[in-house]
Amino acid sequence: METTPTMTSSEARQLLDHADRLSRSAHNATRWPYIAFILALGVATSMGTFAMALTTGDGFGLAYLGTLVVMFALLIFFMVSIRGRSAFSRSRRWTGYIASWFVTYAAALAVVIWAHGSLLLAGLASGLVLVVALVSAAREARS
Amino acid sequence: MTAVQHPRHRLDELLQNPVRFSIVAALDRAGTLGFGEVRDAVEITDSALSKQVAALEAAGYLAVGKSFVGKTPRTSLTLTRHGRAGWRAHLATLREIAGDPSA
Repeated sequence: METTPTMTSSEARQLLDHADRLSRSAHNATRWPYIAFILALGVATSMGTFAMALTTGDGFGLAYLGTLVVMFALLIFFMVSIRGRSAFSRSRRWTGYIASWFVTYAAALAVVIWAHGSLLLAGLASGLVLVVALVSAAREARS
Repeated sequence: MTAVQHPRHRLDELLQNPVRFSIVAALDRAGTLGFGEVRDAVEITDSALSKQVAALEAAGYLAVGKSFVGKTPRTSLTLTRHGRAGWRAHLATLREIAGDPSA
């Protein structure tokens, strides 16, 4: 006995269009704070670690403090902007982005502290922080 | 001679319900969304969403996470690997019916 309802090609096309629209709107409505945050965090920490590599004494302290202040401000922006849509912050994908950023940032800090004066190493490590953040943001924007 | 079946027979029965179809569509790109985010995207009531989420969870298409922010409970919905595979196969069949050359 035939139990499967019939479906025309135009109905199938409508369903595909509906799915695409819904998928895009749900993603766009909830993801912009996450993309903006990881992008800004990457830029700020990359610039901050490179500034620390270029400076000594008070300049070094100022670069470190400035980076911390910017990170704190970004964190406040992020917490406020994801209120009510924080489910993604507990997802495996977001944890992966943050873990990747953290590992590269920790490595950049280690380079700046223990190999202070080596501009090539500091440039590479800071650049890696920026690249990881850009790739994470681009991946999320295109998902 | 073997009769060629119409592709509609391969459509996922679970996803032929319009609300369940919309829930999975909303989660396709996002992967994980809050209960309220899915409710707003699909434009249905909490109780209707709960009922369909339970059906999708029972079929292994969705993973439901519970957490608390202060004293407020938060429910998150994540499309599982099994759910994503089912969704992809359903979309591929729809493309085939629509006559999409990429199907």
